Amino acid sequence: MADIVIDVRELRKTYRTPFRRKKVEALRGISFKVERGHIFGFVGPNGAGKTTTIRTLMGLIRPSGGTATILGHQIPSRIARSHVGFLPESPYFYDYLTIGELLDLAGRLFGMPSAARKKRADELIERVGLDRARAQSLKKFSKGMLQRAGLAQALMNDPQLVVLDEPTSGLDPIGRKEVRDLILELRDQGKTVFFSSHILTDIEAIADRVAIVARGSLQSLGTPAELVKRTVLGIDVKIRIADDVDIATLTDGGSHVRRTAGELAVTLSADADLDAWLELAHRAGAKIVSIEPRHETLEDLFMRQVASADASAGATDGRV
Amino acid sequence: MLGRIWAIALNTFREAARIRVLYGIIVLVVGANLAAIVLGQMSIHEEQRVARDIGLAGISLFGSLTAIFLGVFLLYTEVQRRTIHAIVSKPIERWEFVIGKYLGMVVVLTILVALFGLAMCGMLTWQGVGISGAVVKAIVLAWFEVLTVAAIAIFFSSFSTPFLSGIFALAMWALGRVTPDIQAAIDRGTPWIRTTARIALELVPDVHLFSPSGRMVEGAVVSVHADFITWGYVGLSSLHALGWIIGLLAFACLLFQRRDFA
Repeated sequence: MADIVIDVRELRKTYRTPFRRKKVEALRGISFKVERGHIFGFVGPNGAGKTTTIRTLMGLIRPSGGTATILGHQIPSRIARSHVGFLPESPYFYDYLTIGELLDLAGRLFGMPSAARKKRADELIERVGLDRARAQSLKKFSKGMLQRAGLAQALMNDPQLVVLDEPTSGLDPIGRKEVRDLILELRDQGKTVFFSSHILTDIEAIADRVAIVARGSLQSLGTPAELVKRTVLGIDVKIRIADDVDIATLTDGGSHVRRTAGELAVTLSADADLDAWLELAHRAGAKIVSIEPRHETLEDLFMRQVASADASAGATDGRV
Repeated sequence: MLGRIWAIALNTFREAARIRVLYGIIVLVVGANLAAIVLGQMSIHEEQRVARDIGLAGISLFGSLTAIFLGVFLLYTEVQRRTIHAIVSKPIERWEFVIGKYLGMVVVLTILVALFGLAMCGMLTWQGVGISGAVVKAIVLAWFEVLTVAAIAIFFSSFSTPFLSGIFALAMWALGRVTPDIQAAIDRGTPWIRTTARIALELVPDVHLFSPSGRMVEGAVVSVHADFITWGYVGLSSLHALGWIIGLLAFACLLFQRRDFA
């Protein structure tokens, strides 16, 4: 049996609005398991319940129902948290501290001895590329630098489980790539990584398993390959063609038509007669640049499931 | 456990040391002591009395106001700015966090009271008056008052906004200062007013114990300028303060334990 690091069962969280005491269900019975050594991607639109789930697991929010264990300990557990590294969403740290002081504080809270704190802090500052910013207070850090500082403090205790809430949010493409590489490196070290993101390409690129949540409920759970259908949804064709050629016959019945200087990109339906279409293109003097089958992506699945969750919630709201 | 509490206390001290208002308050208290010299010279042979009264009032008033200010803001801003998310997700219990916050405040307030006391003693020495045991006892009592007020502020701050916490803490401190007077006044009221008021007065600490000068203690009027209280009184008052501090912090920890940090 697989070694389970996070086990969430029927987790619920209900808030009440301050004055009208109206019920708001942030989590409606979410269940999932995260195995040791996996990268687990947690995807959902804004307000889906991702951050609420993570904050509940980290002991920041008390659940209204259900159970959850981390490393075999029922949450909230101080013992479990001693083996977990956590990066909050849009992390806010004490802006008067330097990165060294922040890591020293984190190390003290993890009960690390002074020499170990210093050694680990030096390693991490270098690892996240903040060596040159050692003397600066966090107040002067950019968003990307703060995110790196957050990652460093999350790794201070050399955790078994790393929980990252939107770790690539607000980062430039280079920063995102660095975070993805870091997550992969953590998995290679045998750590389990649980991370949430809006950026589906990040999840698709590195997650071993993915959970899609919407409106406080789990919509899908599995590996990216299990979740995304491998059937061909369409054929993306790109041709080089003179600007003065009439392309009406070529775009008829196609979708995602995009014409740029000297090029035409069009998506044909999966059952289109590709040979006949290419014959037409040849007659029009076109040269083929590329032909690619279009499979369902995680983004397609995500959009479909969010729309479905919205529709069923709308139907429910209508009944009330 | 102690290491984690100390880590929070140390960080709270760092945070408080950056609050510029505190330096303003120190300047104000030193200024009040200097003003006491001028006022003393305007009085007729009452320089020492004026110097002691203003000095001790400065410690009590500004120390308590600082305690309320720090107590209502330091805990609340942790939640509001979400700096608490990266802290309570570490292996620290919430009660350890609250106690650490309070101890950090204790360090700051102790330094402030010491500075206020030094300013007062400096002024008394400059006026050629010795620093009597009565003055030392009065400063120690004022310190306990400030620490009690800090616990009141932390208690309210554990579940309320800074504005409301400030109002509640200020009201509790002010009531605690005049409980004997209120008691005397309500004894002349109707029975239900007497009962209600007595219950209400039980809910505030007897802060007046920490400024006994001019009051009756054990059947005699005591004064920091003449016959003052004994060290035994200081010890008993400190126990009263300690009881309230422990009680208030225990409730603050319980309330903080139940909070969601969304």
